[in-house]
Amino acid sequence: MLRPLFLLTCLLPFSYAESREAVQGDFSHEECITCHQSTEPTLVADWQQSVHASTKPVALCTSCHGRDHQGAAARSRRNDSCVDCHGGGTSPVVHSYATSKHGIIMQLEQKNYDWNQPLREANYRAPGCAYCHFHYGNHLTAKAKPLKPAETDMDRIAGSCLDCHGISYINRLNDNAVSMIEIARMKVREARQLVGEYANEHQAPADAELTGLMQQTKKHLRNVYLGAFHQSPDYQWWHGQPALDGDLLRIKGFISNRQQNTGDADK
Amino acid sequence: MRLAYIWITLLILSILIPAGFWYVDWSKSGDGAGLYSRDWLPEAVFGYWNPDDFYQSVDTVVGEFEGEECVACHRDMSPGIVKDWQASRHAQAEPKVYCSACHGSDHQNLHLPTPDICATCHATQHDQFMDEKRYGFPSHALAMERALDAKHFVDKPKAEVTACLQCHSVATKCDSCHSRHKFSAAEARRPEACITCHSGPPHPDDETYFNSAHGQLYLNEGQDWDWSKPLQKGNYPAPTCAYCHMSEGKHQVADKSIWKFGIKQINPLSSGNVVKRQQWIELCSDCHEAEWSAQQLSAMDRERKQAWSKLDEAEALLKGLRSDDLLSPSIHQRPPYPGDDAHTLLQRERIGFFEGQASAFYNVSPIERDYFDMWYFSNLGAYKGSAHGDVSFINKGHKAMDQQLEDIRRKVTNIRAAGKTEADKTDPENIWLKGEYTEYNREHN
Repeated sequence: MLRPLFLLTCLLPFSYAESREAVQGDFSHEECITCHQSTEPTLVADWQQSVHASTKPVALCTSCHGRDHQGAAARSRRNDSCVDCHGGGTSPVVHSYATSKHGIIMQLEQKNYDWNQPLREANYRAPGCAYCHFHYGNHLTAKAKPLKPAETDMDRIAGSCLDCHGISYINRLNDNAVSMIEIARMKVREARQLVGEYANEHQAPADAELTGLMQQTKKHLRNVYLGAFHQSPDYQWWHGQPALDGDLLRIKGFISNRQQNTGDADK
Repeated sequence: MRLAYIWITLLILSILIPAGFWYVDWSKSGDGAGLYSRDWLPEAVFGYWNPDDFYQSVDTVVGEFEGEECVACHRDMSPGIVKDWQASRHAQAEPKVYCSACHGSDHQNLHLPTPDICATCHATQHDQFMDEKRYGFPSHALAMERALDAKHFVDKPKAEVTACLQCHSVATKCDSCHSRHKFSAAEARRPEACITCHSGPPHPDDETYFNSAHGQLYLNEGQDWDWSKPLQKGNYPAPTCAYCHMSEGKHQVADKSIWKFGIKQINPLSSGNVVKRQQWIELCSDCHEAEWSAQQLSAMDRERKQAWSKLDEAEALLKGLRSDDLLSPSIHQRPPYPGDDAHTLLQRERIGFFEGQASAFYNVSPIERDYFDMWYFSNLGAYKGSAHGDVSFINKGHKAMDQQLEDIRRKVTNIRAAGKTEADKTDPENIWLKGEYTEYNREHN
């Protein structure tokens, strides 16, 4: 009675791997979902809950994997499959990674990697986007709150760090990153408070220069965040902290200038 | 009587000179590191970039391990480093260079390899590297000292300046260029190996090189070059960072440095620099005519002269404002310059390289920061364009400098027209001393 079932279980991994290679042809997103819902229901469910399924436009299976079933997994593991939607090569999110040691090694070695390897156990000398954000092929890229990676993301990413790095190194890096970002936030809060007080005091309409400077603080705060987690010293520093210092002192300069002028006018 | 003068002078000197040495030793013996080590406390993570001063081994695993024992356990614990090591020359050598050769074998007392440890086998490269110190900054070998002794590094909260150590650790560990645990020479020969640190506004080495004719050749064909070859004439169709700055694989980047990063004005035709120019021309002669190479150097001299005429004007305008006490906020209305005591009597705004403005990019008046941006970003960008043969960056840098100079001129005229206002003199609600970050920075270093 149990025997046929046993045989079937034994054959399952084999037949599944075989079938993946055997499937040929182009498929639409809907076709992918229909089939993989029965072969890999968790994967499909994860994708459905992920930010990729709720963003506009939706990142479909075919957006990253392409339509051709042959090489679909390998294709999606490469950074190329992420970069276009994430702002292109010069966007801070991509550039902060590209100038990190991970990004450098990837750039130099990617043509020699075997992209059929799963995203685990340091199968790649340097991690690409997917190695950390889809570690073990996990498709639940959660919706990150602004400047705070969602818990599920962090767990998975920290897991991927441990494939190569020691746990104390990772913990210390992470603690340091949290403090670094908090310091950058302090600068933004200091600026915001000054601008708020100024607006209250003077009933002044929003000034384009001041609004522009506040926009810059957001951009530079994000650079610190990206630099910290993508390990780019340049984004932590030159595109981040000193840039924020500049924003802050220019905001102060603007306000103190206006205060002096209105003070003169009152006399 | 006259003898007394001599004796008294000698007595004073015999006290002061040892006292001076003692003071430097004392100031270096704090919990931080460098000249101001008593003024700050390190972050836990600093040990990974400056192991000699800060690394503390984890003590969770007890015992002595060597050779295959380390590999057996770490194959599961951290497969990446084991795979990397297996692909390295260390694993191919006979006998193999195992983990314990560099990290030690007592797992509760492991160390991170510093250049001194690598020198056990790689003495030639280490000697060349240490030789850089003769030439002063900028150099790789002095980079860590430079970071630790920078006033803004000492002054700012340490989690904020972690980024400094990541790059300046090029002095304290070899894997900045030969990434661990493969430590590949071929990898370090590629220009990408340099750009994690050599990029961004003050040193856009990446963009200026990749934009240049040399860089374009590399981008188009570099994938197919044989990177196992040494950095010698005939081995590469176009030069890379290391080909010129570490020619023939010499681990010495400072010996040909003429313009010192473009950060200060120098005499390019001093007797020392004439020798260096000859070395450059000789190097360029691997591919170019000597005459042509000399012309390139002269073109660079002209570009630098032009840049400094702009910077000098801006600097003079700012120093003029300072003389007339028209900088707002003045030195007394803002947090002290990094490392200065707020109550020091002889305080003044720092303007230009020689007064230490490289650390004065925060807690200054907006017009001083305008000059900092002009000098540190636009000028240095133009310099890199000039040095690497990228016309677009020369033009971009000079256009930005022109604009910034015009802006500074206009602001100076306005400030002078307004004169010293009452509010400026008193400023009861001084916004420059208050605020969450400003106060946190004052309390934490």
